[in-house]
Amino acid sequence: MSLSVARRTIATPVFLGLLLVAFALVALAVGSKPFNQTIIDIFLKVIFVVGLWVFIGNSGVISFGHTAFACLGGYVAAWTTIKPMMKGMSMPGLPDWLMQTEIPFWASAVVAAGWAALWALIFGSVLMRLSGIAASIATFAMLAMVNSIYSNWDSVTAATSSVVGIPIVRSIWPYLIAALIAVFAAWAYGISRHGLALRAARDEPTAAAASGIDIPAARLIAFVISGAIMGMGGALYAHSIGIVTPDTFYLGLAFITLSMLVVGGMGSLSGAVLGVLILSSLIQILRWLEAGVDIGTTTFALPGGVQEIALGAVMILILMFRPAGIMGNRDLSLPRKAASEPEGLKGPKT
Amino acid sequence: MGSLLQIVFDALALGSLYALAALGIALIFGVMRLVNFAHGDVIAFSVFALLWPSVDAVAIVFAGNLPWFLLIPFALAIGAGLSVLSEIVVFRRFRRANPATMMIASFALGFVIRYFLLMLFSSRPKSISLLPALSQPVEIFGARIPLLQLITIVVTIAVLFGLIAFLRRTRFGLEMRAAAENFTMARMLGVRANRVIMGAFALSGALAAAIALILGSQTGTANIMMGANVMLMAFIATVIGGMGSLAGAVLAGFLLGAVATVMQVILPPDARAFRDAFVYGAVILVLIFRPQGLLSARGTKERV
Amino acid sequence: MSLLSLSNVSVRYGRLTAVRNVSFSMAEGEILFITGPNGAGKSSLLRAIAGVTPPAGGRIDFEGHDITGQSPEDIARLGISMVPEGRDVFGGLTIEENLMVGTGMHAHERGWKARAATELEAVYATFPILKERRHTQAGLLSGGQQQMLVIGRALMTHPRLVAIDEPSLGLAPNITDQVYERLIALQVERKLTLLIVEQSSTRAMMAGGRMMLMRGGEILLDGDARALGQSEAMQAAYFGYGEH
Repeated sequence: MSLSVARRTIATPVFLGLLLVAFALVALAVGSKPFNQTIIDIFLKVIFVVGLWVFIGNSGVISFGHTAFACLGGYVAAWTTIKPMMKGMSMPGLPDWLMQTEIPFWASAVVAAGWAALWALIFGSVLMRLSGIAASIATFAMLAMVNSIYSNWDSVTAATSSVVGIPIVRSIWPYLIAALIAVFAAWAYGISRHGLALRAARDEPTAAAASGIDIPAARLIAFVISGAIMGMGGALYAHSIGIVTPDTFYLGLAFITLSMLVVGGMGSLSGAVLGVLILSSLIQILRWLEAGVDIGTTTFALPGGVQEIALGAVMILILMFRPAGIMGNRDLSLPRKAASEPEGLKGPKT
Repeated sequence: MGSLLQIVFDALALGSLYALAALGIALIFGVMRLVNFAHGDVIAFSVFALLWPSVDAVAIVFAGNLPWFLLIPFALAIGAGLSVLSEIVVFRRFRRANPATMMIASFALGFVIRYFLLMLFSSRPKSISLLPALSQPVEIFGARIPLLQLITIVVTIAVLFGLIAFLRRTRFGLEMRAAAENFTMARMLGVRANRVIMGAFALSGALAAAIALILGSQTGTANIMMGANVMLMAFIATVIGGMGSLAGAVLAGFLLGAVATVMQVILPPDARAFRDAFVYGAVILVLIFRPQGLLSARGTKERV
Repeated sequence: MSLLSLSNVSVRYGRLTAVRNVSFSMAEGEILFITGPNGAGKSSLLRAIAGVTPPAGGRIDFEGHDITGQSPEDIARLGISMVPEGRDVFGGLTIEENLMVGTGMHAHERGWKARAATELEAVYATFPILKERRHTQAGLLSGGQQQMLVIGRALMTHPRLVAIDEPSLGLAPNITDQVYERLIALQVERKLTLLIVEQSSTRAMMAGGRMMLMRGGEILLDGDARALGQSEAMQAAYFGYGEH
């Protein structure tokens, strides 16, 4: 990565990082448990969506399958952090060495990232040769495949029943740190030689191929990095709620994360992060309304499901009127640089 | 003999479902390059439209109590209506968008439909008895085949022949086939884009409702997620069949049904639970070697 | 009154301007060749007229009606029939089905079926090979036959104006001769107005008529094909002498 590009674009991850830190400080100031949990959830979504952005944003290929990597990561947390005795009951088929393993949560996140990256490498080396709609559908098939395996492999995943006993981490700091790692890793990848090449291939595939960019290889690198970030997020997600099931990491999560990316704007890292913050706030407001708000003497409550319906509607409207998302491919940066549009993290022409 | 026949019937019945769904996806893809992720939710909606909204575990059957000769047209009209509505309200505004944007929009629309059902009916599966007369078995050459399975196959074949006749013999069918091959060229010959696209959505929705009736009678339950699995297989069938090729989609649907059924039989018992995983894996492999589809000779042309 | 007239029409794809402020008009029954090098904007101009790529600026009138920005099907229904580059036959449809697709625009008129049948016979009379292979899938035809098919298909809609993009592309010279022979005969027979895009001016000079030369999205020359073809100005404009 060239130093000058790094210097020109460093403002973006720093801004985004400060924004996340501000959220953490607000959580600290409020000090309520549920609010704490909400902020943790936002950090987790930031990890997922930034992970998604690394692949989708840079390659332009829509992937429906990335939650599969979160699933892989979530179960790594279950395999490595639950007390051996409990594991023996819910997942008796684990090999002995794994059954005896009990590592701290941060280590499980690291292992989860590696495990997901490994599978991203395996799946990716096959999938990355596809492009367009065929690629999107193949990623969907990958998600369905992973979900089907984890929903049926009784002895090591407890099939569709919940795996409980994952140590719950309630402090917001680990999640903040992980989100910061994700943001900076995504930025570093974006301005690296590989990231630039992949975006060039996204905007001008023919020209990029002619100038010697190996598109499948460039995509594979992005796929593996995004897989690792998703895996890390999956493990931390497991630690945030203490439970995993295969359906925790299926269409629902895939939809939410993809909407956040689309709403924010998949062309820029800032779009990915802002998409999370905006939609999370919207979801939170809708949740309060679903729970019921006292207005005078009457309680006003929305029926369950309105939250998702509103989310879907907002997404459709944004796609209609701002197909490039709220950020419209631009990145947050210092004002004088905004004018000259740094080539570092620029999105596709629209 | 009996068990072999049983396998053949199982494969045909499962393949029928996949073929009908794949046809619904391919019809729309053909005319507007939209991979319609809301299709599965149109299927679910068509079943729930027969029930009275309630969150109880046992469904309060409402329109579902109609005699079959009213029930079937009612369900088909619901499916077609919802599908056409989704085109008018949502997809019409995405005509000039790229396929990826449309695909995500359909994903969002499916989500909206699913949670609309959840709001009215809750996410708990409901037991319903739809066309109960169809679950009795009949005996053919020593194999006991549920009557419904037989009807599924016969209905599918009838629908396919009807559709072929429609596409080959009518002006609307001709325009639709032309539009599916080259939409812009068809428009330059005066074919009305809106009419053809609405027709495709109506047909696709009616097919979704047909699947809904079959699935509902087969499983005896209504579940807001009931269309998801069929839809996924249908996507796969349309990809294998060569996106947009109707004949390819149907053939690939039957092929998938056969593969899934045969795997169920030949896989060792321990691996049977992973049947779908094997099918998905096979599909990824097919895509690698033939990204343009297994059954299509010519690659699909992207619309200009 | 002119049949087709363009004033200050521009076509843009994103930031790229393909056609720049082009104005011209065509009289009924005229043959107009548009020639020019690759990337001159010829095809973009046709696409704008057909409504496929709505112009970014300017105005297009057909028979005195403003058709700027109308949909391709509405423009087709007004009587402009387009034969795009690359012979877009519907490969999975039979020849006869290909020919019939465009007749639907008259389906609201009385007796359209009988007229379509007469029209079909007329096209078959012009291109006997199409009749011979009427039930063959169009994708299986040779290049020359496909070119005849798309011209026949355009005629089936009863057009006032036929716009053809590169009818000679990918055809052997003797096949091209045949195609042109038929085209010119049709123009005389039916008083068709023909707008033909070709990369080289040779055909235009052979066929006669009016010729325009496009380059860089603009019309550089406009005049009689035979006279222009021999002029120095033509050579200079085509190859861009004196600009480098």
